[in-house]
Amino acid sequence: MQFPAPDLFSSHRLLLITDQLPAPADFLLHRFLHLHLRQSKTAKCFALAVSESLERWKSVASKANANMTHSESFQFIDIFDQHPPAQNRGEGPLNVISLKYIYDLLSAKLSDSQTYGQIPLVILDDITSLEWLGVSLLDLSRFARALRALCVKMDAVLVVRHHIVTPPEPDALLQHLLQLCTYHIEVRPLASGRSGAVSGEICVHLGPSMKDANEHVISRTSALQYRLTESSAVFFDKGTSTGVL
Amino acid sequence: MMSSFKRKTLSGRANLPQGTRLSPFSTSTVITSTGIPSLDDILGGGLPLSCSLAVLAPDHHSAYGELVQKYFVAQGLASGQKVCIVHDEPLRFAREGIWMAGNTSSTPAQASTAEDADDEKASQHDDKIKIAWRYEQMKKFQTTVSSNSLSDDLCMSFDLTCRIPATALDAARQSARLIPIDVDIFEDGTGVIKQIEELLSNGTDGHAVRICIPALGSPHWGDMQPPTVLTLLHSLRRLLHRHPNACASLSLAPHMCTDTWGGPGWVQKVGWLTDAAISMSAFGANPSLSSLFPSHHGIVQILTLPAPHTILPASDKYSTLRGLSSAAGSMGGSGENNLAFKCMRKRLIFETLHLDLEGGVTERRTTPSSNAMALDGNMVHETMPAAVLATEGRKGSLATVEIAFERSKEVVSDSPTSRAIPDADDSLVPAKPKKPKKKVAFRSERPDLYDF
Repeated sequence: MQFPAPDLFSSHRLLLITDQLPAPADFLLHRFLHLHLRQSKTAKCFALAVSESLERWKSVASKANANMTHSESFQFIDIFDQHPPAQNRGEGPLNVISLKYIYDLLSAKLSDSQTYGQIPLVILDDITSLEWLGVSLLDLSRFARALRALCVKMDAVLVVRHHIVTPPEPDALLQHLLQLCTYHIEVRPLASGRSGAVSGEICVHLGPSMKDANEHVISRTSALQYRLTESSAVFFDKGTSTGVL
Repeated sequence: MMSSFKRKTLSGRANLPQGTRLSPFSTSTVITSTGIPSLDDILGGGLPLSCSLAVLAPDHHSAYGELVQKYFVAQGLASGQKVCIVHDEPLRFAREGIWMAGNTSSTPAQASTAEDADDEKASQHDDKIKIAWRYEQMKKFQTTVSSNSLSDDLCMSFDLTCRIPATALDAARQSARLIPIDVDIFEDGTGVIKQIEELLSNGTDGHAVRICIPALGSPHWGDMQPPTVLTLLHSLRRLLHRHPNACASLSLAPHMCTDTWGGPGWVQKVGWLTDAAISMSAFGANPSLSSLFPSHHGIVQILTLPAPHTILPASDKYSTLRGLSSAAGSMGGSGENNLAFKCMRKRLIFETLHLDLEGGVTERRTTPSSNAMALDGNMVHETMPAAVLATEGRKGSLATVEIAFERSKEVVSDSPTSRAIPDADDSLVPAKPKKPKKKVAFRSERPDLYDF
């Protein structure tokens, strides 16, 4: 089973990936990256990272045989390492981040690397930690909107990862993001807990702006299940894992 | 003619810091022992360098979190690694540390206390039980991991009754392997992070560094708010990514280990911002649980597992205690084992947790369970995640759903068990009737459906 379907990545889209602690969705981000890089030699990807390190991206990519040696193809932007030049590091607290600066930086990089026919992939991993670390909800929702607008302008695909810590109720940030997204990819743990054969399941929901289109939609009842492997995941329909068939 | 082929030596081995080894799962990961063999097993062989481990122990009356940290410090000192203790009185914490029993510090776990002797006798007795011939060849189910013969020199066996000798402490201090960082000087966590950063950037001449924070959030840290704690966890994690020869283990103060302190989803947030996190919920406050599981002191909940270079955590493939490895892929999955811990006189171990013969979910029933009605009539949620520690506060915010049946049935259900949202204890213990079985007054027009 192939997930995601290749045409999920057409430009101007915002794919919102939500996950929970028992079933993290980092494998999906890595998989998107690998598939994107495999598409063409000049494919570009920008990762705005909050928690994961560059080391891990590279390590998983090498295990999955995705080619990341070319420096242009994958640009890693550590949000906490970017400080606008005007700020004096000695004065403010260590972790003050300027979202506006990140936005400008990304905008510059995207316009620099525009190639005809190429859809850049922008991954924001993850937006929830920014909220937990003190960025206000207002700033974050504006940042998300601005990023979306930027990606629409630059013909890029934006992938945003959000952690759900209170499962049945959507938190305020999730509500904002849901309004913006084209597709909501939900990665959920199994209700019966962890298992060796199935690590979790994936559903895809339509965002509010998509009318009527039913392609790519995977409902919760017929969710696609996956099992993590060393560098990726194996996808299968419910009841068709290798242990059963 | 001499063969010109030379066997390639594992040159990587020579460059590993003392007390560490390559992870069998991923050769890019270097792991080190936490001092507790069963905890190492849960983590997938050990704690990888560049990872942070958070141990939450919500019980106010015990100090299981600090106990795990004592093992961590002792293992670091015994292996010759650098140990940095962040505490309000770090040297006092170090002086009260544990050590190996007697003079034979290099032999693997052979502790034979009275309790262990009893355990051994019990297991020998079990061997004499007639096992169906089909299963005779199978290995006995392992409920715990005592010591790994591979890593004799990596995980010492520590004795809780032995205090660290002053000579070992002094030697460590003099060779700058024991580095204390005081907490009360700083106003919030950022000062601590700066000091740790300085320590790590000054170079460690090839040693692995262990950073231990035994009581994050104790009164000496001042009035810590949830965002401060999260910022500290996040900064620590980033520091470790930048200095991959270091690892960290921390315990949150007991009052900070539950959602009641940090708000809804707090425990999960801690799990997201650390590389590895476990929660040790002691039975102390709950007499029904301690009577259910008399030989254990609490339940272990795994929040996050370390996977610094791979997608799949090493623990999923290698942990004997969790039991996923035998199931992965080929023969299709059983769920993972429940885990518990017990603190004996001389050591702390993590074990698998099983219900006893009576009243477990494997019991064959011939009459419907008295709890069966509760599940039928109150299906508000399609999922009841056991991993989330539900708080009482959340009940009020959920919409109440009423389900009306087409045919009128008289349904009698136990009121305590018909709550749609189980609290943390219930969700961990499967439905076991604690009272004598009631007669279920349930009339259906299709009685054959419910005949077991």
